[in-house]
Amino acid sequence: MIATLLIGLREGLEAALVVGVLLAYVGKLNRPDAARKIWLGVAAAILLSLGLGAILTYGAYGLSFTAQEAIGGSLSILAVAMVTWMVFWMLKMSRGISGELRGQVDRALVGSGWAVALIGFVSVAREGIETALFIWATTRASGTAPLVGFLTAISGILIAIAIGWALYKGLLRVNLTVFFRWTGVLLLVFAAGVLAYGIHDLQEAGFLPGPFVAAPEGAGPVVAAWFGEAAWAFNVSHIIAPDGLIAVILKGTLGFAPEMTKLEVLAWAGYLIITLPLFLVRSYAGQHATRKERP
Amino acid sequence: MTSSNLRNAAAVAALSATALLLAGCVPNGAPNATSIAVTANDEGCEVANATGTSGTLTFTVQNDGTKVTEFYLLGSNKLTIVGEVENIAPGTSRDLTVQVGPGEYFTACKPGMIGAGVGHAAFTVSGDAVATTPEEDAVVAQYVAYVKTQTEELVPRVGEFVAAYKAGNDDEARALFPIARINYERIEPTAEQFGDLDPKIDYRKPGAIEEGLPFTGFHRIEQDLWLDRAIENYSQPEKNHYPKDDLVALTPEERATIGDQLVADISELNDKVRSPDFTLTLADITEGAKGLLDEVAAPDGKLPGEENEFAHTDLYDFTANVEGAQVAFDTVRALLVANGGEELATELDARFVDMLDTLAGYGSYEAGFVSYDTVDATKRNELAAKLTALSEPMSRLTAGVVGS
Repeated sequence: MIATLLIGLREGLEAALVVGVLLAYVGKLNRPDAARKIWLGVAAAILLSLGLGAILTYGAYGLSFTAQEAIGGSLSILAVAMVTWMVFWMLKMSRGISGELRGQVDRALVGSGWAVALIGFVSVAREGIETALFIWATTRASGTAPLVGFLTAISGILIAIAIGWALYKGLLRVNLTVFFRWTGVLLLVFAAGVLAYGIHDLQEAGFLPGPFVAAPEGAGPVVAAWFGEAAWAFNVSHIIAPDGLIAVILKGTLGFAPEMTKLEVLAWAGYLIITLPLFLVRSYAGQHATRKERP
Repeated sequence: MTSSNLRNAAAVAALSATALLLAGCVPNGAPNATSIAVTANDEGCEVANATGTSGTLTFTVQNDGTKVTEFYLLGSNKLTIVGEVENIAPGTSRDLTVQVGPGEYFTACKPGMIGAGVGHAAFTVSGDAVATTPEEDAVVAQYVAYVKTQTEELVPRVGEFVAAYKAGNDDEARALFPIARINYERIEPTAEQFGDLDPKIDYRKPGAIEEGLPFTGFHRIEQDLWLDRAIENYSQPEKNHYPKDDLVALTPEERATIGDQLVADISELNDKVRSPDFTLTLADITEGAKGLLDEVAAPDGKLPGEENEFAHTDLYDFTANVEGAQVAFDTVRALLVANGGEELATELDARFVDMLDTLAGYGSYEAGFVSYDTVDATKRNELAAKLTALSEPMSRLTAGVVGS
């Protein structure tokens, strides 16, 4: 029971957090129309995933493992690119905005709202099919009554949504200047986690070198370090149980898994090392410039 | 990145995801699929059979433990993931459907999702090599669809050509002759699969005589439309031994008979190609591509100017043969690259461009190609050199696509 609940929580958390921040963004900018569009994007992703999941579970055709991982992996990386773009675009737009204009320009920040809605869609859709396959599988449970398994899985996702909702509510209380900075940082951190997850998917499918691909023949030690057993960066699953609550929370927020490959760690760290300082420096510089313009 | 760029990027991503979905489909419970029960608990898992038959295998993994588990089918190196199903909650059952060829595999479970997997057990798949993967089926289906579009275009073009010929509009018929052949020349190896059709449609006079077949089809009409040249041609010493009794103008009735037969044969070809039973193998496609180029270079082909020995429209056929080979190659290109044939693919890309550019220097279907008898030996040698440069890598295509 708990195990099923935690899977639901794990699969739902990353998406719920990103969507929570997106909704806080448009909420802060007083754009209920954009919020509606985000919900539309999220709903479309959920329906699509559930529909596809049902077809693949009960229909005539299933999805090959490689295809499933490739879809999840590439959508994850697309989500990262879109979130990164959004964070920096909004930073650029919000720079040098003086007092009374702020309200108007802030409204322009999210444009027509469709771009943000699209990010909501991709964030949910990227792991949506796997989650839907998992949920439909619980309805075929034998030990516990199918309905119980199904409801437990859904409950896990609902808890993830509640956490996303709490983040949203909390963020709304933060003062505007600080708000943009911290939501930006949060989104970048979440995106780094999604990136690591996407890399892992592509490694499992054998599209990227990793623990699931044997080193090419005659490869030197430098190359061989990225293949096979040597490709793992660390494994602390004896300390943090991968099926436990702590692992689920760490994975859903930071993208940390008890067992990660070198490529995942490199991508995760590389992403944050590049984006975070760049974002913070620009964010503070922008604030400084704005202050100087004021008489 | 603007929001419209973003939308485009998303559209591309959605399209690729859809393509992957389609290409990555494996049949659930296909009639010949074998279902293998796997019982998992907190210590590992037990696979009911240690052997299977190649094709579609379904592992039904029942988790009787208290921890979430994962089930893996690994390659013989115990690293490569052939198939995986995650998130098997306690008390639930999930299926892993995979397409496997004969070979040695390992099965493993990961109770609690920890470690490199426990319960590694050897799993042997026997039987024939998996005939095709879904990706290969998709490639074949794409090429078959191409063949169908070509025969569909061929029917009205031949109809128009024959109508002009039967009506005695010889100038019009002469102009339509090379155009009516384009679609046929693009897919000729496929037509040759239907034993008796190609001889009736496209045999040249020497070929028909050699095999004791009546001389019919495109080239019979060609001879009638360019009768002066035919008489001149067959008076040359090297062709003097061929019978000359058919070197007379056909009567309108004879024209109708020959013309109607060509239309009927083409329409039969179209029907056969459109039949649900019609299919090809990957090797048919790659060998066909090579065959198209061989057609050009053959002693009675386009390069020596023998194919259309009276009309001298060989450059049309030449271009169509190369185009047909290029489409066949493009269709299998992704498979070639996936098999590590990136270099060969790049080389062929360049050779095709070079060949078609050179041909374009002589004209186009729309504007017309120069008569082949005006192409001198030097120029023919240049064409031959380009063709050889293309044919050589082409002869490695089948091995690069199929032989893996």
